[in-house]
Amino acid sequence: MAIEGPFWRAIAVYRVASLVYAAVLMAQQRGYQEPVAGWLVIGVMALWTAGTTYAYAIPGLRRGPLLALDLLVTMGCLLATPYVQGSLQGAAGTMPVPATWVAGPVLAWAVHAGRRAGAVAAAVVAAGDLWLVRAPDEPVVVNGAVLLFLAGVVVGHVAQLARQAEERMQRAIEMEAAQRERDRLARDIHDSVLQVLALVQRRGRQIGGEAAELGRLAGEQEAALRELIAVRPAPSGTTDLRSLLLRHASPEVTVSTPATPLLLPAEAAGELAAAVKAALDNVRAHCGPQARAWVLAESGEGTVTVSIRDDGPGIPEGRLDEARADGRLGVAESILGRVAELGGQVSIVSVPGQGTEVEITLPT
Amino acid sequence: MVRVMVVDDHPMWRDGVARDLAEAGYEVVATVGEGRQAVRAAAAVRPDVVVLDLRLPDMAGAEVAARLAEVEPPPRVLVLSASAEQDDVLEAVKAGASGYLVKSASREEFLDAVRRTAEGDAVFTPGLAGLVLGEYRRLAAQDVQADGPRLTERETEVLRLVAKGLSYKQIADRLVLSHRTVQNHVQNTLGKLQLHNRVELVRYAIERGLDAD
Repeated sequence: MAIEGPFWRAIAVYRVASLVYAAVLMAQQRGYQEPVAGWLVIGVMALWTAGTTYAYAIPGLRRGPLLALDLLVTMGCLLATPYVQGSLQGAAGTMPVPATWVAGPVLAWAVHAGRRAGAVAAAVVAAGDLWLVRAPDEPVVVNGAVLLFLAGVVVGHVAQLARQAEERMQRAIEMEAAQRERDRLARDIHDSVLQVLALVQRRGRQIGGEAAELGRLAGEQEAALRELIAVRPAPSGTTDLRSLLLRHASPEVTVSTPATPLLLPAEAAGELAAAVKAALDNVRAHCGPQARAWVLAESGEGTVTVSIRDDGPGIPEGRLDEARADGRLGVAESILGRVAELGGQVSIVSVPGQGTEVEITLPT
Repeated sequence: MVRVMVVDDHPMWRDGVARDLAEAGYEVVATVGEGRQAVRAAAAVRPDVVVLDLRLPDMAGAEVAARLAEVEPPPRVLVLSASAEQDDVLEAVKAGASGYLVKSASREEFLDAVRRTAEGDAVFTPGLAGLVLGEYRRLAAQDVQADGPRLTERETEVLRLVAKGLSYKQIADRLVLSHRTVQNHVQNTLGKLQLHNRVELVRYAIERGLDAD
């Protein structure tokens, strides 16, 4: 993750600054009781500061072993304190030899693996710190430990947030790029392939015979392709009913919709589209594959209405009631069932000579 | 002889349409592939009918339709589009186009649409009726003051039947009206929408003009 880079650089700066602070303390105290050992510890700290600055800058090295080693080296420097400071250790105002430098691995763990890892590292370092300042008669001062915990948890939390933000940003950028690419494709397809398919369809029909069949196939592909490139994004959890209905558009089926989205809960839209498909299948079954059908989707006050009309012979008067009485409504029954579950209504009207019309109304 | 201009950026398509028109006895006075060129040519050759594709390289189709409406005398515009972009179609019709046909329509449907456009009738396909119905619903839901255009009950009834694919004759039979009355109702729905669009444009221009002072 690119966002981690600045965190690691910040930790490196912190290590250098606290190394300088530890060295200043060492100089002020003239090396405590064991100057040689004291400056040796400062030397190890300097080497390790340089090493971690280099190693943490390489993403491939930021793993468990390096983090564990980081904690070990730091603990080693911390626990060398009694030997270096001798009887000065534990005196009021005296810090352990590495001083604030010990927070380095806590920050590293937190940035690498989040606030829990930060807390664990803080616990280890704080335990060492508390063990050093233990004194039989005095109350334990926990300020350092609390600060370590706070640093570990807060930095870990912020690092996690930053990582999530970066992931989200990355996804958004990818989606935008995909959308741009889709738009470009749609434009190209529109300007070339669709035009040719429409032309083939038109000329084929004029020439007749086998060419007419080719034209018909070209027409089907044109409708399918046109629908494919006209995907309309809808707010999550909802579906634009238009995109589901327009899939049925073909030379035989005309789909008419408003220019504005017809948003329905995704599930209701799916059920409604399935009911429309059942109605269209019914038209094909009863009136043949060449039968024409019209689908109209419209929004009313708090409702969405979809009507499916065919130009078949229509249902003779009384036949519908007869079929209903016999329980032979078949496909109509499945439409009624689906729609009733959504709290909607279905009306079936048949005018002799003007086909049959199924009208489905759903509350929105 | 009816003078027709064809505007489409696809040469093969343009030539095919021009040939069909010529064979059917129309005089094709110009074929152009760009919007700006189309507006200039229309002013020069004065076509009766313009067959307009909405996807042009230099201008939005609706804008071409609007500019054509300003040409003297204004030609009648029939939108012939492969576009599934319903917004574009609606905008073009509001800007003054008097009909809309998909490119996949048959030759006969197309020639019939040109004939009707030339006679001054609106070419209302079911798809266009659905768009216009939707637009009136949108306006009704949006305007609280109710100064926008409204459909009468009869007009709504007629428009819905057009959208469901009934012919004018079938609608006339079903509602017990004359064919002419059905045609008038359809024409009115479009006229009111175009008038509203012009009023809105003027209002917008005035507001912008006042702001500029």
